[in-house]
Amino acid sequence: MEYIIHLAILFAIYAILGISLDLVVGYTGLLSVTHAAFYGIGAYTTAILLTNFGINFFWSVLLGIAITAVAGFLIGLILSKFDGDYYALASFGFNIIVFAIFLNWQSLTRGPLGIPGIDRPNLSLGIINYEFSSNLSFLVLALLFLIIIYLISKFVVGSSFGRVLKAIREDEGAIKVFGYNTLYYKLTIFVISAGMAAVAGSLFASYITFIDPSTFDLMESIFILAIIILGGLSNNRGAILGAFLLILLPEILRFIGFPTDIAAQMRQVVYGLLLIFLMIYRPQGLVGEYKL
Amino acid sequence: MSIIPQLVLNSIIAGAIYTLVTLGFNLIYSTTKFFNLTHGVMAAVGGYAFFFFSKSLGWPVFLGVILGVVFAGLIGFGLDKIVYLPLRKRKASNMVLLVASLGAFTAIQAIIAILFTSQFQTLNMNVGVQKIYEIFGAVITQVQLIILISGLVIMGILALVVKKTILGKSIKAVSDDEEVSKIVGINTDKIISRVFLIGSAIAGLAGILVGFDTGIEPTMGMNLLLKGTIASIVGGVGNIYGGVLGSFLLGFVENFGIWKISGEWKDAIAFGLLIIFLLFRPQGIIKK
Repeated sequence: MEYIIHLAILFAIYAILGISLDLVVGYTGLLSVTHAAFYGIGAYTTAILLTNFGINFFWSVLLGIAITAVAGFLIGLILSKFDGDYYALASFGFNIIVFAIFLNWQSLTRGPLGIPGIDRPNLSLGIINYEFSSNLSFLVLALLFLIIIYLISKFVVGSSFGRVLKAIREDEGAIKVFGYNTLYYKLTIFVISAGMAAVAGSLFASYITFIDPSTFDLMESIFILAIIILGGLSNNRGAILGAFLLILLPEILRFIGFPTDIAAQMRQVVYGLLLIFLMIYRPQGLVGEYKL
Repeated sequence: MSIIPQLVLNSIIAGAIYTLVTLGFNLIYSTTKFFNLTHGVMAAVGGYAFFFFSKSLGWPVFLGVILGVVFAGLIGFGLDKIVYLPLRKRKASNMVLLVASLGAFTAIQAIIAILFTSQFQTLNMNVGVQKIYEIFGAVITQVQLIILISGLVIMGILALVVKKTILGKSIKAVSDDEEVSKIVGINTDKIISRVFLIGSAIAGLAGILVGFDTGIEPTMGMNLLLKGTIASIVGGVGNIYGGVLGSFLLGFVENFGIWKISGEWKDAIAFGLLIIFLLFRPQGIIKK
């Protein structure tokens, strides 16, 4: 049971990452491969605030969103100069740069040693004082965050703002002619998406209670991309479906009976082949509404 | 003793390694117009094929190098036939090809790790007794000298092939306009698969040489690919000489960049250079 709860928490975290990345990749059509950077900034913000300053988890989530939004704004500003595959490549670069910062700014992040001993979230409002120390209570919290993110995302893509995003994806030149400032739209959605990824990062840091840079490398960004491509782009439920399947997959491989070190590599093989097969046979993913 | 000569030499050696990766990458990009992310992992394929034939089976070095290069070329060729050709036939967008190559890259890298473990291996047979040369107080090993020479030689051969042979002229035609090339009777699919064969083979050689210089590990491809991509964009995508120029510029910027700060920042510096170029001179040093 404990094991299923563990998987469910991971699923909630990756579903948040998937939904947020889909806003940029699926709805706006910008192939960003830098999501793990924002995920990491959120995680590090929470980790540092909780261990060094003893700030409450929920405040750290807000601060994490704020810091990540600033980072997202700056990165998005530069990325907005590119399009197509150059956009993807430049976004690669930002993931590598942010990863290098996690690894090398040792006075702040402790570099490759990572930050251990991060507290579980603690809710204290007046007389209520509750610590989410059991995994089950943490799962409830994570699912709550997932629902909030899902609703925000649903609201954003259903609004007139969301329709402009889809128009940018289909034909940016045409929507510009109608007088829309596309830079503003692209930048705003990028910042929103980054802020959501920060929430996932905060949850991850406080759940595992330990983080190190290796979680937030380029491979992680590729994994999140695989989630939404499998589930289907431009569909919030697709992101959730993709996260569910890709979290479950390694467990199936484990049950087949590969030894642990080979199972980890086997997983990469399956992710890779999955991407190839999807591209050849079903580029819109399982329930997607947009093809790359 | 001044550190400058050594820094200059290190930059040149790094530049030569990047040149070997960039030459193939540029060749493939110029004909297919998409960022082939599997290119870096071809270097790992070459390196590990050599490791298998020459170190595990004990075959002669010369034979191992040839087999490694051929093997990398064939895998590149096979990928084109199995993955990229069907996608091109369907007129898939560059993004689809990019994501597919991302998948191929992830899968091949993991397969190598399963077959050979993810341990760091050195290809050098006699560690520690390498010949060392001194130039102006800077040290260069024999392997590094070979890297430098082969980088320049292969650039020369490639330039010659593209300029003088029918294959080279067809490659040029396809990179200028694939549709028109088809109309005048060039079998573009055949040309592109040959380009994959040649480009991947060069990457395989790069992998073997890097393995002799430092060592091989399954994840080596990513780093080489990223550096190769940066070098080719900085130099001018799809241009042989531009790629070489970009490679050496990248080598110098990286090595002088870490003069005063920790070497861990190398990758960040490289991408910083890329982003500066993309912002202010997106067409690269030599415009095509």
